[in-house]
Amino acid sequence: MCLGIPGRIVEVHDDHGLSMGTVDFGGVRREVCLAYVADEIELGDYAIVHVGFAISIVDEAEAKRTFEVLKEMSQLDELDWIQEVADQSLQPFEGKAP
Amino acid sequence: MRYLSEYRDPDVAEALIRRIRNRSSRPWVIMEVCGGQTHTIVKQGIDALLEDAVEMIHGPGCPVCVTPLEQIEKALALAAMPDVIFTSFGDMLRVPGSSCDLQAVRARGGQVRVVYSPLDAVDLARQNPDKEVVFFAVGFETTAPANAMAVWRAKQLGVGNFSVLVSHVTVPPAITAILDAPDNRVEAFLAAGHVCTIMGWTEYEPIAERYRVPIIVTGFEPVDILEGIHLAVVQLEEGRHEVENQYARSVRREGTVPARDLVARVFQLVDRSWRGVGMIPRSGLGLREEFADFDAEVRFQVGNITVDEPKECRAGEVLRGQLKPVDCPAFGTRCTPENPLGAPMVSTEGACAAYYHYRRYQSAQLAGKTS
Repeated sequence: MCLGIPGRIVEVHDDHGLSMGTVDFGGVRREVCLAYVADEIELGDYAIVHVGFAISIVDEAEAKRTFEVLKEMSQLDELDWIQEVADQSLQPFEGKAP
Repeated sequence: MRYLSEYRDPDVAEALIRRIRNRSSRPWVIMEVCGGQTHTIVKQGIDALLEDAVEMIHGPGCPVCVTPLEQIEKALALAAMPDVIFTSFGDMLRVPGSSCDLQAVRARGGQVRVVYSPLDAVDLARQNPDKEVVFFAVGFETTAPANAMAVWRAKQLGVGNFSVLVSHVTVPPAITAILDAPDNRVEAFLAAGHVCTIMGWTEYEPIAERYRVPIIVTGFEPVDILEGIHLAVVQLEEGRHEVENQYARSVRREGTVPARDLVARVFQLVDRSWRGVGMIPRSGLGLREEFADFDAEVRFQVGNITVDEPKECRAGEVLRGQLKPVDCPAFGTRCTPENPLGAPMVSTEGACAAYYHYRRYQSAQLAGKTS
């Protein structure tokens, strides 16, 4: 039930004093209550939406930074792994060498 | 979609799995609190991939599952009233009461409607002034701001034919109850990213300190969960016990302040029974006095309904992480998603449903459990 889906805010409007807007979820658009993030939104921002309410604005810089750190880590691990495999494949060969 | 697909990157996931396995000196016991995370873990087989490095225990974070039977009975009673349109999130419709579920009430002519947002229920009330619209306000802190807004909005617009049946619960008292249990095995927690999106993580700091347990605020994609587990394992190996935030793209330390503020204006902390677990003091939210007019239990006098929990369903042990769903004697035999004994088998966040849907049923059968 705590499912939250990121979507892009494409329109904002006021409904009898309540901040509302349209959010695009990969092509599917829905009306969403923006009252809880109204102070910080700009059109085009990604919001996490839960049961028709934007509960946070996705910090894109943070998302990018975290992912790049993880991606770099996986690439480094990949290099380590290649090295490890190379080392292992060398060992028995060396052992058998005259 | 940006920052969704990236967090499903198989290379990154694989690297994290390797790191966790390399770092872990013994199978640490880690509980993911949120039922949404349970489903990702079981569906992706994260627990199986990390076997020997960590033991994942599934927590009580399924609001549908912990809604006590008496609240379900009140919902059934309200939904059967001729002038009532009973509205709910779709998840609640198949939760078994003592004799039937909301779907059965609808089949017998009760007006039961699924809404996407609680504000839709307020709109329905405005469109049907000759009916009473009741909304089943369940959920954790993630959902509380939406439900609080529905009540606030109804009061603001003078929608007198709208009311709520409240069964809200909060996460920190449940974590504390798990840690206080004499047979507790949990050594670290993944805290639910969307609950903390609303509430921040200051409530968890005294828990981490007092019980010396790492708590990692974690997101919902496979890479999020693996990174959360990795952070927990590193802390456990180093003997640290801090609150860390893996889900920084959505969670700030203080949470979403306007949402917290409205929740605090509409609701107050109350004692609440958790299905299968029992009463946990100050673990729920109830309407404040100035919103008592919107309390469906008072308006329709269903507040005194009480019932006993069914004996055969062992949801309480599953929700406390003491029993794996497949180890329940009724799992997959007398309890299935078609004929559930308890809510964890029907909810999209229930641990029993997760095991049933993603291969565990077959593996239990293969192991000869059901023969």
